Amino acid sequence: MVLPAVLLGLSVAAPAVAAEPAESQEGLVWLKKMASASRQLNYAGSFVYRSSRQAENSRIAHFVNPAGGEFERLETLDGPPREVIRTNDQVTCYLPASKTVIVEKRNPRRFPALLPEQLTGVSDSYNIRKEGMDRVADHECYIIVLEPKDNLRYGHNFCAEAGSGLPLRARSYNEKKEPLESFAFTQITIGGNFNREMVKSRYAAKSKDWKVDRSGLPVAETPADTGWVLVSRLPGFKKLTEFKRSIAGRATPVAHIVFSDGLAAVSVFIEPMPNGRATQTLSHQGAVNIYTRPVAEYMVTALGEAPAATVMQIANSLELKGATATAR
Amino acid sequence: MDKISALMDGELDAHQSEQQLARLKNDSEARACWEAFHLIGDALRGERIVSRNLSERLRERLAQEPTVLAPPRARPARPIATYAWSAAASLSAVALVGWVAFSGPLAPQPDAPSVAAKAPPVAPVPVVAAPPQLASVPSEGKMNEYLIAHQEFSPSTAIQGLAPYIRTVSGTQTGKGQE
Repeated sequence: MVLPAVLLGLSVAAPAVAAEPAESQEGLVWLKKMASASRQLNYAGSFVYRSSRQAENSRIAHFVNPAGGEFERLETLDGPPREVIRTNDQVTCYLPASKTVIVEKRNPRRFPALLPEQLTGVSDSYNIRKEGMDRVADHECYIIVLEPKDNLRYGHNFCAEAGSGLPLRARSYNEKKEPLESFAFTQITIGGNFNREMVKSRYAAKSKDWKVDRSGLPVAETPADTGWVLVSRLPGFKKLTEFKRSIAGRATPVAHIVFSDGLAAVSVFIEPMPNGRATQTLSHQGAVNIYTRPVAEYMVTALGEAPAATVMQIANSLELKGATATAR
Repeated sequence: MDKISALMDGELDAHQSEQQLARLKNDSEARACWEAFHLIGDALRGERIVSRNLSERLRERLAQEPTVLAPPRARPARPIATYAWSAAASLSAVALVGWVAFSGPLAPQPDAPSVAAKAPPVAPVPVVAAPPQLASVPSEGKMNEYLIAHQEFSPSTAIQGLAPYIRTVSGTQTGKGQE
């Protein structure tokens, strides 16, 4: 009686996998490999970030302490210095020009832990394939293409280092296949021993008298029903999480709901209406579109690495549960 | 529609203006034309937001002055100030209609994108065509707190590690520089 149980177990697990063509399967494997490589490997190098507005060089170092702990440091090399330090799940941004420190807590339930359940979602919305090889920053890499199946999301193109899977280049495209933004290493060293110096902040000591914004830190990140629902769903986008949290610079807790298709994510923030901001606005920062819309006495802000229409549609189909009932 | 264009350019005399304004109130086609001309003008000047603010300001003024909506019909020698007010009132009524019409598709926006959503492979066009109703402006770091909060949940951030945070710190500095 053991054998049928095993077979049954297999048949339950199999469909999601078997439904994907081999090509797509390989792409998924590489996507997963990229996600874990960027967390588990030691690497240090320089990359260039390009958006429609600018090109900027930065230096990044990521080290994992074998005794425990993940450390990452990002600093800009052009223009006024800025630094982002990550120590496990805490992110600190140092902005020396304005003498400001922003401290944020990251969600400890991060990838790749979240990834497997989302992988099926990714292939629902994108055609994934591994294309030929390329060379980035003197490293051989495989090109992984994610082509959206509709125009609710952007296209992506990664180049994953042939040995480790570390993403050396990431590009996104809009629906007209025009480039939106790209990250590409220009120089990188992969491997090596844990080096605390490489991930230490240059500003931590100097920032004692800087303005510190910690309001984002005591995060009440317990999943909670915020009372807001989507009245029409967007294909491929599933609710990832929903909770009330504190946000730097906001006095009252803000409802935060995240929708994702496995690769692109759209966050919706709902706060009590601030004074004198009751208009719809659409703005963008790199590939991120940001849309605000007043709903009754609330301000709804939706943002994410998705086309403006997608971000707007999510914000526009959001309603307060009670309001829906009374309106009809 | 020549008259409307002339009205916009201030080429009509008081009497003609009043006629055209009355027509704008009653004739939806003329209103659409008026609105379109303004949108074209605004777009050419890159002043998309201005027409919205203008119509809002006018709407506020209108709310404070309810009586001017129905100015006395025939008064032979009307003082210029009254005339101006009536014109402003008519304009604001039009602007209000224009504003409502203009913001209409933005609010629920169920048509184009959901059609595309239901049948993505067949109808690949409309989603993109829908949003430019609202011109997108660079955010200039105004949403950084939200961006940072968002990034921890973004799968692309998970794949690329800390690198996408560069968006946030870039935006911060650009914003500071331009303020």
